[in-house]
Amino acid sequence: MNLLDRYLNAVAKGLPEAQREDIIRELSEDIRSEMEDKEAELRRPLTEAEQQAILKRRGNPAFLAARFRQDHRSVAFGPQLIGPVLFPFYIKVLSFNLGLTFIIIGTIFFTLCISGQNITLHAIFSSVFLQLLIQLSAVTLIFSLIQRHLNKYPDSWNLGGMGDGVHVDLKFASDMKLAKRTDRQVSRFESVSIIVASAVALVWLAEVRRHPFLIFGPAAYFLQLAPIWARMYGPIVFLTSLGIVRAVINLFRPRWTRLRTLVSLVLEAASLAILCFLLKAGSWVTVVESAGSHSAGIAAPLNLSTRASSTVC
Amino acid sequence: MCHTVYAVHYMTPGTDNHELFENLRLELRRGSLILAVLAALRKEHYGYTLRKTLGDLGVAIDEGTLYPLLRRLESQGLLLSEWREEDKRNKRFYRLSSDGKVILKRLLAEWQSINSSLDGIV
Repeated sequence: MNLLDRYLNAVAKGLPEAQREDIIRELSEDIRSEMEDKEAELRRPLTEAEQQAILKRRGNPAFLAARFRQDHRSVAFGPQLIGPVLFPFYIKVLSFNLGLTFIIIGTIFFTLCISGQNITLHAIFSSVFLQLLIQLSAVTLIFSLIQRHLNKYPDSWNLGGMGDGVHVDLKFASDMKLAKRTDRQVSRFESVSIIVASAVALVWLAEVRRHPFLIFGPAAYFLQLAPIWARMYGPIVFLTSLGIVRAVINLFRPRWTRLRTLVSLVLEAASLAILCFLLKAGSWVTVVESAGSHSAGIAAPLNLSTRASSTVC
Repeated sequence: MCHTVYAVHYMTPGTDNHELFENLRLELRRGSLILAVLAALRKEHYGYTLRKTLGDLGVAIDEGTLYPLLRRLESQGLLLSEWREEDKRNKRFYRLSSDGKVILKRLLAEWQSINSSLDGIV
């Protein structure tokens, strides 16, 4: 896939589906005409760097695609948090997350109902509201950070690297020669994403110990984490923190890649070791002592299914 | 002297006032671009040659502005378009519709009237 195709693919991702093909055909024709004009002027084919320069002048594909959309909605609490460029993606991610969460909650409540648990309307509303709040806050925060980055560095993208998309990079790559070198450096976008995701994971890990409701939902009335998790808690927190340290180093030194590979290997080996311990332990979930005898039957199939899915993964 | 220093600071890129100026400039340009595009499309063009023609005449317009504008004007019935092969490639050609011609004539009269009024004011 050549540079032009990669650029057009990236634009296409943000276009309204009904007009996507038509707009891409027209844009493609426009860019090809410009490239041909340039070739006629230079009397030779364009080099990759020259093609990149032409595409770079056309601007960030996400911004270009947004100009074709009729939807100019945004999220603002005072200042604008998420602009029209990111808004459709924000809605997609939020809908997917909320949909998945509500399916899980619905399944849990359904299981509780058929197992004879006493479910109050208050319990249903509070867990739905809590999940709504968590998802809304987390997704909005992440997209606000991306929007801030886009506002600050609107030209910070390049067509280098793998895949068919355009890689958004926190560094300002006005010199397109930089694009090729990004293969050997870690993008700051990736580092920031790891830091944010790991920090959220650490907070969640800390809270889950005190509030099992965050992992079991209403099933926390009669289910709890097995003792193996208490033993693995320290190593999991340590590995997550190590991942943050690695990302912080890469944030300030994107070219720190050799030792990073070694650290990544250590992290992956340690994660595998933890998984082995968890698999060997067999039981990941136990029944709370105060729960009735009718709850005992729920933990066993749950342990079996999680073990089976982990083994397959 | 003080006024000059203030004016230089006022227009420095990166300041809020610079942003304000840019917004107002874009607003001022928006209407003129529609007029320029409609006028240029009295003769048939495809996107790239239209952009080049306008650029050569001093009305630079990027494709992120031009193509959405062409689509909007077409959906309003002011332009007609068709895909046609030229130089072994398919291109979308635009031209003014009969409604577009009438609207352009009225818009030009309006623009000339505004221009002469502004000449009197400034």
